[in-house]
Amino acid sequence: MPSRWADSAEDKAEDARRKAEKEEKKRLKAEKLRQAEEAAKAAARANGHQDDEDGERPQKRRRVSHDDGAAGTGAKEPERELLRFNAPGWQPCRSVERFDRLNHIEEGSYGYVSRAKEEATGEIVAIKKLKLNPVNDGGFAVTALREIQCLNAAKHRHIVNLREVVMGEREAKNDVYLVMEFVEHDLKTLQEEMEEPFLPSEIKTLLLQLGSAVEFLHDQWILHRDLKTSNILMNNRGEIKLADFGMARFCGDPPPSNLTQLVVTLWYRAPELLLGTPTYDAAIDLWSVGCIFGELLTKNPLLQGKNEVDQLSKIFELCGIPTEETWPDFKRLPNARSLRLPSGNRAAQGSVVRAKFPILTNAGANLLNSLLSLDPAKRPSAKEMLEHAYFGEDPRPKPTAMFPTFPSKAGQEKRRRHASPNAPMRGAAPGLQGEVDFGSIFKGREEEERGGGFQLKLV
Amino acid sequence: MAPISELSHLMNPLASSSQLEISSSQLDGVSRGLEDSIRYQTMLLLQAAGVLLRLPQELIIQAMVIQQRFWVGSDGGSMLEHDAMDVASAVLYLTAKISNHVVSPRQVITAFAFLNFVRPNYELTALHPDITVLVESQYEVRRQLLYEIESQVLRVLGFQIHAVAPHSLCINYLQALDTFPSQGGSQLAQRAFKHLNSAVLSPQLLYLTHQPSTLAASAIYLAARELDTKLPETEWWEVFDVDREELGFLAVALLSLKGFAQREREYWGKRRVPLTVEDLQAEIERRHMLELGT
Repeated sequence: MPSRWADSAEDKAEDARRKAEKEEKKRLKAEKLRQAEEAAKAAARANGHQDDEDGERPQKRRRVSHDDGAAGTGAKEPERELLRFNAPGWQPCRSVERFDRLNHIEEGSYGYVSRAKEEATGEIVAIKKLKLNPVNDGGFAVTALREIQCLNAAKHRHIVNLREVVMGEREAKNDVYLVMEFVEHDLKTLQEEMEEPFLPSEIKTLLLQLGSAVEFLHDQWILHRDLKTSNILMNNRGEIKLADFGMARFCGDPPPSNLTQLVVTLWYRAPELLLGTPTYDAAIDLWSVGCIFGELLTKNPLLQGKNEVDQLSKIFELCGIPTEETWPDFKRLPNARSLRLPSGNRAAQGSVVRAKFPILTNAGANLLNSLLSLDPAKRPSAKEMLEHAYFGEDPRPKPTAMFPTFPSKAGQEKRRRHASPNAPMRGAAPGLQGEVDFGSIFKGREEEERGGGFQLKLV
Repeated sequence: MAPISELSHLMNPLASSSQLEISSSQLDGVSRGLEDSIRYQTMLLLQAAGVLLRLPQELIIQAMVIQQRFWVGSDGGSMLEHDAMDVASAVLYLTAKISNHVVSPRQVITAFAFLNFVRPNYELTALHPDITVLVESQYEVRRQLLYEIESQVLRVLGFQIHAVAPHSLCINYLQALDTFPSQGGSQLAQRAFKHLNSAVLSPQLLYLTHQPSTLAASAIYLAARELDTKLPETEWWEVFDVDREELGFLAVALLSLKGFAQREREYWGKRRVPLTVEDLQAEIERRHMLELGT
C-alpha cells in the first residue's frame, strides 16, 4: 500500500474532472462577461454622444468589483494563527549573599528554613537550605532535584511559590538554598497556639484549598507523599500554601515499580504503605488529607501511632478491621501475612468515625469516612472530594478574607499579652543573638506589607 | 487564544540571543571552530556512552541538550576551566539520575574512561577484554570530581534541567498524518528519527533554538522528501504550529550536517580532539605557533 497521500489512478481521474469543471466555469463566466459588455455597449450607443467616456466606466467598475471578490475570498480564509510558546530560558544561580538572614524558622530532616530579606528589593522571603551530602546521596540528592522540579512544575495559588534556587559562594559554593515566598504560619504551630479548633466554616475553606492544591498536583502527575499539617502553610489572609516537596515525585499511570514505601510521616501514612504495598498511587495523598481533616476538627493529630505496628492498630481501631469485602486485596500485601487480626468480632469491624466526631454532619462524616477508606481504591480522588455534598451544606465555607489573623511565630511576632520587656523568648538560649535579631526584625517589618497594621487578639 | 503556560512535555527552554552570541570558552580564547569541534566530539562521546550503558535514546538526547546549555553564553562553563570530558560524564550521570534509568557513578566513570581510551574510534565491537581503563584509587578521585562538576552544571543552568526529546512527538505527528498503515511508513519514521538524532550534533545548536514540535515536523518533511513519500499537499506543518520559514531553515540546517561531520573527520583525522583543559591549551598553543609560522 503506498502512502495515503500518494496519487492513485482515481485521484488522477478526479483531478482531471475537477480541472475540466473549472475550465467550463471559466468559459461560462467569460461568456457572461462578454454578453454583459455587449449589452452595455449597446445601451451606451443608444444613449448617443457620451459613448466614449461612459463606455469606459462600467468596465472599470466591473474590475473593481472583481478585485473585491478576490479580496473577499482571501478574507474568508482567516489568517492561520500558530501556537507560540513562551519558552523559558536559564541563567546561573544567584548568590545567597543577596539575601539577609533575619531569623531561623525551623529545622527538619530536609533542611533549615529561615526568614530572609532580599537586599535589592527588600522583599521578605523564606530560604530553605538543603541538607546535602554528596558522598552518601551519590552526588546531588535526587530528592532535592525532584523537589525543585516538582515545585517548578506546580505553580498554583495554594502551593508555595519557589522563586528561585540560589547557591553559596567560595568555600560554601556547593550549598543550595530554595528561595520561597514567606508565609506567616504553618497549620501545626497555629493549632498548637489556638485555644479552640477552627470553626466548621473555616475547616471547609481550608479543606477546599488543600483539595484544590492536591487535585492540581495529581493532575500534573505529582505525588506529594508528605501531606501533614506542618507542611501546610497559611498566610494572614486565610490562604493556605502547600509546602515541602522533599518527598514529592513525578509518577505515571501505571506508577513506576521502584517507588519507595518509606514515604509520608507516620501519623499520616496510609494503611497500604504500612502493609508494604509495592505499588501505590494518588490515594496515599488522599488518606493524608483525611487525617488532616480529622486533625482540623479536634486540633489534635488523628492517629498518633508510636511505631508502624501501633499506627496500624490505631487505624484499625478507628476504621475497623479490614475484611475481604471491605478491602479485597489486602491479604496479599507483604506485611499482611504477619498480621493477626481478631476474627469474628463483628463490633470491631465497622468504622467508628461517625461516633468519634458527633459534631460532624452526616455529609461530613461520610466524606471523612471515604477519605479514610482502608481500601485505596475506595478513596475519592481530589476532584471527587471537592465536589462532595459536605461543602455545599451550611455553614458555607468562610471567605478567606474573613479569617482571623494570628501572630506569626515564623515572623517572630508574639501575642500581645506575652509582650513584656523581660518575657523570656521561647527556646532562645543565645540571648545576645536574639537582641541582634530584633533590630533587623523591626527594620524588616516596616517594609513588609501588612494589612491595617493590627492583629486580632486570641481569646 | 489563551496563553498556554505549562506544556512542559512539548516545550524546551531556549537559549537567548546573547547566550548564542558568545560563550565563556570564546571569551577565554577558544576559537569558535575549535569550540564546535570539542562540542561535537563530546556529543559523539555521550552518544557512545549512552549506548554502552544501554540508556534510551531520548535520555541521551536530553543529556546532550543539557550539555549544550552548559557551554553557551558568557555565564556558561568554559572549556578552559572544566574538562569537556568530565562535563559530559557528569551531565549523563545527572540526566540518568532524574529518569527511571539510574546508573551508578562507577558505570558512568568506567564507560567514559573506556571510551576515552578507544576514541576517536567508537567501534564498540572491537572490545579488548584485558585492558584496564581505571584503577581503584583513580576511581575515588574521579567520583569526587563527578559530583563537583554535577553541582557546577546545576549552578550554571540555574537548575533548569528540563529537556524533552522530540521523538515521541514525531511519532505522534506521523500518526496524525496517517503514514503508518502504508508501505514504508516505518522507514519514514526511522529516517525522521535519524534526522532528529543527528540534529542535536549540529554546531547551530538547533535544540537550543527550536522547539520539539518544529524539529519533529522538519525531520518528517525532510525524511519524506528523501524517501519520496507523499504527504498532504496542503501546509500540513501548520497543523503542528510550525511555520514554513522555520521548516525550511531547519531542513537546510539538517542537510548541512553531513558536510560539517565530514570536514570534522578530515580535519582531525587520527588526531584526538582535546577534551581536557590541558590538551586544549596545548592545541591552542599549537595553532598559535602554526599561525606565526606561516
